[in-house]
Amino acid sequence: FIQHFRGRKNRCYKLAVRSVRRAFVRSTKARREKKRFLRALWITRIEAASLEHGLKYPAFISNLLKSQVELNRKVLADLAIYEPKTFKSLAALAQRRRQEGFLAALGDGKEPEGIFSRIVHHH
Amino acid sequence: VAKTSLTSPPWPEVKLPDPVEEAKYHAAEVVRKVNGLISAGQYGRLFAVVHFASKQWKITSEDLIMMDNVLEAECGDRIRMEKVLLVGADDFTLIGRPLLGKDLVRVEATVIEKTESWPKVNMRFWRRHNFQRKKIISNPQTVLRINTIEIYPCLS
Repeated sequence: FIQHFRGRKNRCYKLAVRSVRRAFVRSTKARREKKRFLRALWITRIEAASLEHGLKYPAFISNLLKSQVELNRKVLADLAIYEPKTFKSLAALAQRRRQEGFLAALGDGKEPEGIFSRIVHHH
Repeated sequence: VAKTSLTSPPWPEVKLPDPVEEAKYHAAEVVRKVNGLISAGQYGRLFAVVHFASKQWKITSEDLIMMDNVLEAECGDRIRMEKVLLVGADDFTLIGRPLLGKDLVRVEATVIEKTESWPKVNMRFWRRHNFQRKKIISNPQTVLRINTIEIYPCLS
């Protein structure tokens, strides 16, 4: 377990026991924090990709959720890397839904409701 | 009346395509084109986003997927995955709201392996309190291979 450590920790038993214990404890804690770290990484990647298409991350995510597209951040980050055209279409969808939201909020008159704001019901 | 800085709102005024009929006609044209492309078979590799084992995966054909749980299927069983969220190819993508219909997409997979993970060490330790717990955990894992992703021209 410890052959790759530095100094006398890889040779002397007493020092090695302590460092192995610390290494195990740190690995268990890191497994819980890896999930938070990866989610932050995905969020920064999606933010960068959506800024290239002229949208900010909170607007992008909120509009996607409002138009009933439930893709999680991991998949969105993968799409942004490997499928740029798909990500562009998703950004356009979010932009269109955003504008429909603005019109619905500002107009509040007898204007036609947005097309992308319709909610689909499954049975 | 002279135009001041406050006559029009500071945000750019955007006009959406007004009549619902125009959007419907456009949608019908796009739908016809995409159906034609699908039935002509003019797509290369298809990729799909599938919700499986409480996780979302972006998969293509001939893909390996490993999940951290047990499936109630023997090795060599064919599995059809429902709950497809997105399907795409080079020229078009089908985005589900949130799921796509079962008569649109078909994702087939076979179970290859059912093993256990490498033994992970779970240790808790408080210093100066003589508290040490060590537990070795090995999770069961399953490996699936995605055989095919097929789409049928049943859009509406």
